[in-house]
Amino acid sequence: EQQYWLAREIENGRIARNVMKLSVILERGDLGSQSNWSEVGDRFQLKLFRDYVFHRVDASGKPDLGLGHMLSCMSKLDAGVDEQIMLTSRDNETVFVITYRELRGMFERAFNELMKFSKSP
Amino acid sequence: GVVGLQPATALAFDPQAELLWAGDWKGRVASFANRELRRYTAFKIQIDPTEGPVQQFLFHEKGVIVLGRRVVHMAMRRGPVLWNIRHEGMKDLRCMSFTSKGASEILVAGWQDTMFVIDVVKGEVTKQVPAPHHYKIMKRGRYICAATETGRIDIVNPTTFKVEKEWQAHQSYINDMDASGDYIVTCGGSYKQQGPGSSSRVPDPYVNVYDLRNMTSIQPMPFPPLAAYVRLHPRMLTTTIVSSQQGQMHVVDIMNPNTTNIRYAHLQASINLFEIASSGRALVIADNDRNIALWGSPSDGIQFTNIGAPITFPEPEEPAPHVDWSVDAPLSTVGMPYYYGTMLFSAWPADIISDAGAPPPQVDPALLATLNKTEFGYFGPNKTGLRRNQIEDTRASKASNKLQAPKFLSERARDGPVTDSHVDQETLAQDAAESLKPEPPP
Repeated sequence: EQQYWLAREIENGRIARNVMKLSVILERGDLGSQSNWSEVGDRFQLKLFRDYVFHRVDASGKPDLGLGHMLSCMSKLDAGVDEQIMLTSRDNETVFVITYRELRGMFERAFNELMKFSKSP
Repeated sequence: GVVGLQPATALAFDPQAELLWAGDWKGRVASFANRELRRYTAFKIQIDPTEGPVQQFLFHEKGVIVLGRRVVHMAMRRGPVLWNIRHEGMKDLRCMSFTSKGASEILVAGWQDTMFVIDVVKGEVTKQVPAPHHYKIMKRGRYICAATETGRIDIVNPTTFKVEKEWQAHQSYINDMDASGDYIVTCGGSYKQQGPGSSSRVPDPYVNVYDLRNMTSIQPMPFPPLAAYVRLHPRMLTTTIVSSQQGQMHVVDIMNPNTTNIRYAHLQASINLFEIASSGRALVIADNDRNIALWGSPSDGIQFTNIGAPITFPEPEEPAPHVDWSVDAPLSTVGMPYYYGTMLFSAWPADIISDAGAPPPQVDPALLATLNKTEFGYFGPNKTGLRRNQIEDTRASKASNKLQAPKFLSERARDGPVTDSHVDQETLAQDAAESLKPEPPP
């Protein structure tokens, strides 16, 4: 019983930290070069991943709020697994094939950049 | 296979992956996988679609290099960008080539007076070189072979970028060119005046050939249907494939130009682009009616690369378990996938200091006066002199803060005018209670 609650709390903390890290990184637009986040920038896939996890819709365009999908994507990102996913932009003119491992590396780089800025005098 | 999309402006077989790459006039790029030409990845090389078409592709083991009129873009084959170079001197780029440094350096040129040397690995312009002429096509053989807009080929040293030799291949223009280690082959023609201010192209009924070993032009290959496109076969070193604008194709040997093997492509419209795969086992023709046709031998198997390893697509994801949004549903329902020896992304750095318990920042009443009031609150421009969301040190500024902590009655009495003997105790108490409430807007 206690173990169950402990496991649950650890899991909640992990998920909360993941979501906070993503929120800290995405849509800031104040540090570094803005163009990195544009459609031709090297951070564009991070935005597309956010859309893939949190902005899903069904065939008729209705928002899909399945928590299971969000949790499973966040866990795979957390562990950086080698599974490939397809990320697509809203206009469908950008399609990336990328692994969770690569995405995690890219998110980490973006976060480390923020850390570096936060500590610079 | 036939794929409908925007009219392609550039087309190339990837020599290292079973992909066909196409670019269009808005700067969009798409890749098509395997002989089925199943759409694989897509990306843009420029944000502004009016900047001009995709001009050319080059291939590196790390990805694909794409040339636009004002930009050079390198992306992973799976789509994400590696670098995107813009330079004010990049005004009208048309062509590019690898240099003497293998695939680690490229030279880009165009209808402009400057050429740029780019380090492919670092993604940086390393040098600017004056262009001897304006160039429209570049191919790397033993030298960099650069076609001008006036029917001439400059044979450029791939180390010094100096013109070693010039060759007037056709009278007025070059429509297509290919080069390998030893040969340059060209299709071109002359202009025929059609009244004042207008002229039309007259293609030559032959393919011109230049021998790069002996630095001399050799006997042209006759092509009565008027030569428009030519490619050297990548495996058979003296074999060429020549096509007319309408799709009549001849397989001709440079050494023996009088024996030809003839094929007809049945096209809806005239040819726009023509390419051969590095395996020599696939050929692609794009017409002006937006069709892309793939040619090859069904019995030998159509294959783009010598390796022939097919492109794999992401597996359809397994359906995630259903989790309620209710408070009771444990978020641990979806566990972690198997992982080993890796730092989790959720690991939070230990050296970030968190300050807790400081009093919350207050809105300055003087500032509120500058804002417009609506039923949902106040709005207006930021005149605080602070950045958006800037942290305020609410501990340090306490002394200078106009909003002081409520005082005890005894403190108030001490601060109050001592000379006034008629201190209404009731009013005082009321004041004290008032000061405990949040600051009302003025």
